[in-house]
Amino acid sequence: MSSLRLWLTDPNPTSRRQARLGQLWLAWLRIRRNSLAMAGLVIVALLVLVAVFAPLLAPHDPLVQDLGRRLLPPGTPGNLLGTDDFGRDILSRIIYGSRITLYIIGLVAVTAPVLGLLIGTVAGYFGGWVDAVLMRLTDIFLAFPRLILALALVAVLGPGIENAVLAIALTAWPPYARIARAETLTVRNSDYIAAVRLQGAGAVRIIAGHIVPMCLSSVIIRVTLDMAGVILIAAGLGFLGLGVQPPMPEWGLMISSGRKFLFEQWWVATMPGLAIFIVSLGFNLLGDGLRDVLDPRSSQSGSAPK
Amino acid sequence: MSLIEIDNLSVTFRAKGREVQAVQGVSLTVGEKESFGLVGESGSGKSTILRAICGLAPVSGGTIRIGGKVIPSPRGRDFSRRVQMVFQDPYASLHPRHTIDRTLSEPLAIHGIGNSDARVMQVLEDVGLPTSFRFRYPHQLSGGQRQRVAIARALMLNPQILLLDEPTSALDASVQAEVLNLLNRLRAEHGLTFLMVSHDLAVIDHMCDRVLVMQHGRAVEELSREALAAAQMKTAYARSLFDASADRLLGPTPEPVK
Amino acid sequence: MTLLDVQNLRVTFDTETGPVQAVRGVSFSLGRERLGIVGESGSGKTMTGRAVLRLIRPPGRIEADRMVFDGQDLMKASDREMRALRGQRIGMVMQDPKYSLNPVMSVGQQLTEGLRLRDRIGRAAAHAKAVAALEAVQIRDPERVMAAYPHELSGGMGQRVMIAMMLIPEPDLLIADEPTSALDVTVQAEVLSILDGLVRDRGMGLIFISHDLRLVSRFCDRVLVMYKGRIVEEVQAGNLLAARHPYTQGLLNCLPRIGGPRAPLPGLDRSGAWAQDNGGTR
Repeated sequence: MSSLRLWLTDPNPTSRRQARLGQLWLAWLRIRRNSLAMAGLVIVALLVLVAVFAPLLAPHDPLVQDLGRRLLPPGTPGNLLGTDDFGRDILSRIIYGSRITLYIIGLVAVTAPVLGLLIGTVAGYFGGWVDAVLMRLTDIFLAFPRLILALALVAVLGPGIENAVLAIALTAWPPYARIARAETLTVRNSDYIAAVRLQGAGAVRIIAGHIVPMCLSSVIIRVTLDMAGVILIAAGLGFLGLGVQPPMPEWGLMISSGRKFLFEQWWVATMPGLAIFIVSLGFNLLGDGLRDVLDPRSSQSGSAPK
Repeated sequence: MSLIEIDNLSVTFRAKGREVQAVQGVSLTVGEKESFGLVGESGSGKSTILRAICGLAPVSGGTIRIGGKVIPSPRGRDFSRRVQMVFQDPYASLHPRHTIDRTLSEPLAIHGIGNSDARVMQVLEDVGLPTSFRFRYPHQLSGGQRQRVAIARALMLNPQILLLDEPTSALDASVQAEVLNLLNRLRAEHGLTFLMVSHDLAVIDHMCDRVLVMQHGRAVEELSREALAAAQMKTAYARSLFDASADRLLGPTPEPVK
Repeated sequence: MTLLDVQNLRVTFDTETGPVQAVRGVSFSLGRERLGIVGESGSGKTMTGRAVLRLIRPPGRIEADRMVFDGQDLMKASDREMRALRGQRIGMVMQDPKYSLNPVMSVGQQLTEGLRLRDRIGRAAAHAKAVAALEAVQIRDPERVMAAYPHELSGGMGQRVMIAMMLIPEPDLLIADEPTSALDVTVQAEVLSILDGLVRDRGMGLIFISHDLRLVSRFCDRVLVMYKGRIVEEVQAGNLLAARHPYTQGLLNCLPRIGGPRAPLPGLDRSGAWAQDNGGTR
């Protein structure tokens, strides 16, 4: 362990990989001192673990109905968080639901920011009419409320989990494009970009190799902070019956079905609501912590004073 | 024959509907393996000339020839292999998220030149940096070390001409001396031609054979090194620049004590 | 008469990697004279100037055996007493006027604000006093400059305004931290001679902080040479060329001179015992 630490903190790394891992190690040290970010990281890690080991953790099959045991309150032996109107175990459904939530988050996280980065950096780097066209396109998407736009897209594409992800991703990219463009504008005229241009590098190489790395940290921060919103929109689509279809154990769908007995059997809607709340909180805390660690404007604190 | 010929160069920036003439009708020639200096105060257009040569500033009039041929626009890869530039601020001219190795091997990758490991090690040695620094990030280096990396990067493509934009003005005096010595040694070893910009007349005098004094985007006076040392300037502005030069504050002491 | 007496001043920053000492036991005293502090980046010269005004933020700490300004113990002074001293009795001019002037207030407003709020002087009297201060720094049309905003001023003009602003309360001590480094050489000479004349006429004490030994020697009576947070040598400015310490000599010799030899410039030899860390915590 200590030799690994020495290898990571070696001031003279002997390979690119070692240099990069060393930087990651320093970032990890910084995030570790931030207790709120660590809390967020633990929540997100738990979500991943629960999703991976759902079959082992869930006490019941989430889809098996038992109409004799419907609407049991929390604390009932065998049904820790109670049962819903079809007698399905709520705890098991929440545990399996984490898979769907993670699936949606994962797909959105790898599509929307990539699209946004591409559009934002291209617009920022080239400027002129390219910038005008791409940014007006971004403005059009930004002009609609996200949920409404997602609803319209799902209405066209038809309900279903993949279409829900597609709709969310198509509505989520504009803020990333804006951030990436703003970062690109500050970086574009810097000396190190001028230097690589002087070496004969083309636009693709400059954007992919030199500008994107500078935009990445702010986009990552924004993605983490946005994840809570993505979960809520996914839940909202599920709640309206346009996302994941019954009987899949999606959290928003579960709230929707629990709405009917909210006053008599509060737990049916409340338990998945709590799950959404905790996971959203986890991503928000993590995002805030990452901002402290990754933001180039605040990361200078590590250097010695003049 | 002159390697660099600049004839009646003008550079005009357009900002918010207003036109600013940064350089107005400047001509100069630099011979092969010569070292030529541009000196002036801020806003004199001296750095703009270097940027115009590199295609980083909009040329609005005049011609720039290198080796007798008008340089193409956009500059292209042949130009990159011939002309390279070292920037003023070593804190802003290295990509903060790239290792030294990446910064130095990038030009080789662009031009499809192989054997990058050996060449990176070789150039690090050339500029007097330990090869163990190869995988460091810029923030792990001092200002002088960063400027050495920037010089190394400019040398990667074995250029003929090095454009130096105030390469030492951001550095401490002792580090400045080391970097100036390094540049002189590299010029001798690689047969480089220098076009150097500085606000410090003493630095220009130490480095260059001929000097062009600039003010408000125009050329004021060209001086040989001998004329400068003998204070034989014809224009009032060149003289005021000479009189204000910090090294005159100490009074005349010819040889520094060893 | 001693205006400022500093004994064994230390400035320490507590960082992630442990405490870093920026200033390690600096002692000097100052009368109504001009004292230069010279050193390269990281020598602690700026921190020394700031420590006198206690302008060092956490995680930085200031310690000193003695730091007395005109009979008042600066180490024991309350924050309120320090605020009363800053600007009023000890002025400070920073390197770049761009960052020291408020961009959204006109020069006139900034110059008269202190007079009107602190000294409760009427509008017309404050205006007259500000104009007089601008004239003192040789600004030709002070009325135009009074109405201007900082971005409309050149670097040299901005720095003159800064100096005028610092001089209005007639402080006893002026700390100038690289006041001309951001300026062109011809402007630099002008600003320095203005500063020099004012200090001389008003009998102020001046601490002039710079990286340029030549400038400091021209405008000061005494020079402290700092290296890595310590004073390595104190010389009379007139005798600078006779400086003994290898670091001072090195700093002087490594500068190119017009008409000097083309031989490689002598580098600074840092192998001597003076350059080694002893007693540092790092």
